[in-house]
Amino acid sequence: MIVAPLRKGYKEKKDRIFKVRSIVEGRTVSGHVLFSSQPIAFLQGVDPEKGIVIEPKHQIYGKPFESRVLIFPYGVGSSVGAYVIYRLKKRGRAPIAIINQRSDITTASACAIAGIPLVDMISGTINQFERARSIIVNSKKSEIEVVDW
Amino acid sequence: MYLSQREERILAGESGEVLQIAYRILLALGRLTNASRLVPIKWAHVSGVSYLTIGDYGLEFLKRIAFSSHSKFKVFTTVNPCGMDVEKWDSLGVSPEYASKQLEIISAYAKLGTASSFTCVPYQSYRVPPAGTHVAWAESSAAIYANSILNLKTNRESAVSALASALTGKTVLSDLHLDENRRPSKNLRLSLKKHERLRGSLDFGILGYFAGSQISGVIGFQNLRGLKSIEEAKALCAAIGTTGSSGMFVLHSKEKVEGIDFTDRDYEGIFEKLSDVERGEAIVFGCPQMTIEEMYSLSKMLYGKKLKKKCLVFCSSKVYESARTRGYATIIESAGATIVRDACADFTPLISVLNVDSVETDSCKGAHYMKRVHGVRVALKTTNEILREAAIAN
Repeated sequence: MIVAPLRKGYKEKKDRIFKVRSIVEGRTVSGHVLFSSQPIAFLQGVDPEKGIVIEPKHQIYGKPFESRVLIFPYGVGSSVGAYVIYRLKKRGRAPIAIINQRSDITTASACAIAGIPLVDMISGTINQFERARSIIVNSKKSEIEVVDW
Repeated sequence: MYLSQREERILAGESGEVLQIAYRILLALGRLTNASRLVPIKWAHVSGVSYLTIGDYGLEFLKRIAFSSHSKFKVFTTVNPCGMDVEKWDSLGVSPEYASKQLEIISAYAKLGTASSFTCVPYQSYRVPPAGTHVAWAESSAAIYANSILNLKTNRESAVSALASALTGKTVLSDLHLDENRRPSKNLRLSLKKHERLRGSLDFGILGYFAGSQISGVIGFQNLRGLKSIEEAKALCAAIGTTGSSGMFVLHSKEKVEGIDFTDRDYEGIFEKLSDVERGEAIVFGCPQMTIEEMYSLSKMLYGKKLKKKCLVFCSSKVYESARTRGYATIIESAGATIVRDACADFTPLISVLNVDSVETDSCKGAHYMKRVHGVRVALKTTNEILREAAIAN
């Protein structure tokens, strides 16, 4: 019997599942990852029509949020930035879910009004997902699963 | 966070989409702050009223909330200053495009049912409930004042969370709503020699600007003398809110916690940081908005005088009405100052349209934001110093 060699980077299912804290619950979604180790300022740092970071030196400058699982440590800047996410959602340019290290009031209220699932990592670090390609976010079970590293 | 059966049903959408969104916001905040449950409030103060801050996206959201059927605020709700003086925006140089957007925002809030005055000092014009009452106030300077001076209980709400509280009449029971969290986390010891006698808005603004930048939890002042007036407390609260996330201070802390000193050097360092020019081309008073007492003392100083510079005085329409009845407004206006009602010096286009490179003010919060938002340089002076130079006998 020939067993297909495991793909490089393959991990057992139990090693691919992480416990998270659910802040805003929503449908279970799965999508490609957009990872930033830098915080995001929604009010002045994001283009509300295109759904991209517009701060020139930012790690994910110019990369669209659309249909991505967006991972970043926390949001910064005015709470009015929540309205920018609401706008993105209306235009279909919003991320499908957000994973924070430690969520903040702006990101939490943004996801609440736009209906975007939001979880944060009370234990563990988001940096382990830097190279993850695809993630399932199950906010109802407070769980995320990395499906492709 | 625990929700009652009724709250669960509203969250599921039983009472319509607007309340569902409002409860979703409260639930998210409750989870974020580990709240045990929701608590009823008696007063909501919402921010996010100036078109300059909330923009088209805020307006879009607000309209959706306000013009859904049956949408009404459930508790007494006051609103922050808006982006212009509704009656004389034209003569102040505000563009018609901006004005029409601002009027749309105002009508959305009016539909939801708010008090008529736009103010960042709501405690000046409306009856304050008894100590210990839970409220939900956005506008950092007012929230800090509520906790520290009025003994009300509020967290520093955001534009969005205060809106949710106004719609539901509730807030999350966490942080400063709980007595055990209302004790100083760090002390701030006043160790001043040269500036020992802090007096007036400017001095207390500088103290607050420093305290806010050093302590993010409840601030415990030690060896604090002075602070005799509402106006000084208002300046202190505004400056604390400008530089940090603290939501409360205690005037005479006995708590045995780590302490930080406030020295003459700190005082001078802040002054130099905020005041970057000797003289300003225009004068700005009223950040936070003027109290009736401040209108009175301004009118006393301006009586029989003329101002050599443009001067904007910001107050709420309620305070303006009393100032007019008592004759203060006429004196101030006869001296050449413009009284701007219901607007904010920092987050409106009113300073930008003055077309000046520098302003004079007695407000540390005003200095901080006018530099950043309007790109002007600031001369920080006491009201006396400003008028001694700018007001000449008629």
